[in-house]
Amino acid sequence: MKWHRIKALLLKYFYISINSVDRWFDIFYWPIIDIFVWGFASFYIKELSNFNLLSVLMGGIILWVFVWKSSQDIATFVLEDFWARNLYNLFSSPMRISEHVASIIIFAFLRGLISFSFLILLAYLLYSFNIFTLPILFIAVAIFILSLIGWVIGLFIVSLILRFGQRIQILAWSIVWIVQPFSCVFYPLSSIPAWAKPIASILPTTYVFENMRAFFLEGRAINYGELLYAFMITLLLLVIVAIFLTRSYAKAKQSGILAKGD
Amino acid sequence: MDAIEVINLVKSFKEKNRLIKAVDNISFSVKKGEIFGLLGPNGAGKTTTLNILNGLVSKDSGEIRILGVDPEQNEQNWEYIKNKINVSTAYYSLSEQLTIKQNLKVYAMLYNVKNVQEKIDKLLKMFELKELENRKVVQLSSGEKTRVALCKGFLNEPEVLFLDECTVGLDPDIAEKTRKIIKEYQQKNGTTIIFTSHYMYEVEELCDRIAFMKNGKIIKIDTAKNFKKLIKKTSIELTIKENYPAFLKILKEKKIDILSTGTNTIIFEVSSSTDQLYKLMNIIFKAGVKISDMHMNKPTLEDIFIQFARRKQKKSKMSEGK
Repeated sequence: MKWHRIKALLLKYFYISINSVDRWFDIFYWPIIDIFVWGFASFYIKELSNFNLLSVLMGGIILWVFVWKSSQDIATFVLEDFWARNLYNLFSSPMRISEHVASIIIFAFLRGLISFSFLILLAYLLYSFNIFTLPILFIAVAIFILSLIGWVIGLFIVSLILRFGQRIQILAWSIVWIVQPFSCVFYPLSSIPAWAKPIASILPTTYVFENMRAFFLEGRAINYGELLYAFMITLLLLVIVAIFLTRSYAKAKQSGILAKGD
Repeated sequence: MDAIEVINLVKSFKEKNRLIKAVDNISFSVKKGEIFGLLGPNGAGKTTTLNILNGLVSKDSGEIRILGVDPEQNEQNWEYIKNKINVSTAYYSLSEQLTIKQNLKVYAMLYNVKNVQEKIDKLLKMFELKELENRKVVQLSSGEKTRVALCKGFLNEPEVLFLDECTVGLDPDIAEKTRKIIKEYQQKNGTTIIFTSHYMYEVEELCDRIAFMKNGKIIKIDTAKNFKKLIKKTSIELTIKENYPAFLKILKEKKIDILSTGTNTIIFEVSSSTDQLYKLMNIIFKAGVKISDMHMNKPTLEDIFIQFARRKQKKSKMSEGK
């Protein structure tokens, strides 16, 4: 991998961001909507049951942004090159697929950080919710694992796009929302139906949100052993998706999809 | 050493459970500093051949060597080659949300170009895009986009340049300037160019040699001059001032192919390679026929293109080869 080429692609995404207002829109718009909807919902739940869910819901929304933004941005940036029929020029340049992926991951992470910071500020201003009541080490580990999961989902979508073209682009926006209900972002693992539990148990995201909830609701210490287990699963998934991506790239060269762009 | 060597190259694509041979066992080589044209009807395999050579499509079998290196051996070889080649096509845009200047800056960095600003300014002036440099690609006309693609193609001063239909959508004067720039650049830098175009005069003007492709095969490789020799007949259009009936009689006697006749005009064909026309003119003048106007339609590369494109596969197999 050559840094000058990663830098070139980062510059490209930066230019796209400053030239297109709509690329800023999704950094702020959906997080604001989430903060309002779930904040107001927690007020209502408190009114009904005197049970304060605000910290659990806000923590979930704020941390989930890394899974959501990473996966969606990775897929969207690749799709944008498909839409603009720009893959031809990119892939005929010396750029390697690994450099392409690295640049998208870095840029998606930076966009995730902006959304994250904005949500922290908004949650504090609107509901006096402070995410930093959680241990800093936990926040760092959670961001790391959730970003990696976002990359796994994003790269899986990219692999499918390389194999099947733009016709599966709907997955770019939907796969992450299939993962979310099984990740126990807003409710505990114990509360979901028995058939869904095995699925939730193998998702690394579940362990992050379970620990966050236990800390907020029960004051329990963070179980870093569980987080290490989650990290190991994430790493395994990352290796699998990297192999799938490499094979999909070879398949794309075989089918000519990079040249045709559709 | 040849700049490009292609040996027994084969590439098929799956289409609706059918296997279509886009490139069918072709071999050719391009000398260093040569402009080599790929000509043929749609679906002939020209673009697939270029896409294999620039690393966008993988081959099924055969060998390719660019600047003496087999790029398919490993990723490092492709990286080395791709730094030394470039491609320009009218059909694929650069990033549409970026301005011309931003796009060129990004590609200059991808190709690790030195003196980026200076080089971009020079290219923008060369292709008359300086005033549009801060305009987004999405806002450009197709001709302007084509010129931006050409700027990108020249950015890294490539040793091998693939120009795929690179003048499509250009105004005639800009297209002429572009051809001039390509020719001058090639002469100055000794760049090897593979050129595809639908405009025959362009191929004829620029290319040292031409490969005619059809159904994934190379039918023939030769110079434009030699290709034109394949058309055996030249058509002559005459306007007769006096003795028109005598003139018609002579043509019939000499068994000349008459294509059409008017009240005092006639179009007929004579052999291009013999002195048939000279002899015929002598007879006509001696018979007292007076001519007021004469047009000679020499065979063009377009005639060859039509002839080859319409030729049945059976016939093409007979004359196949270099």
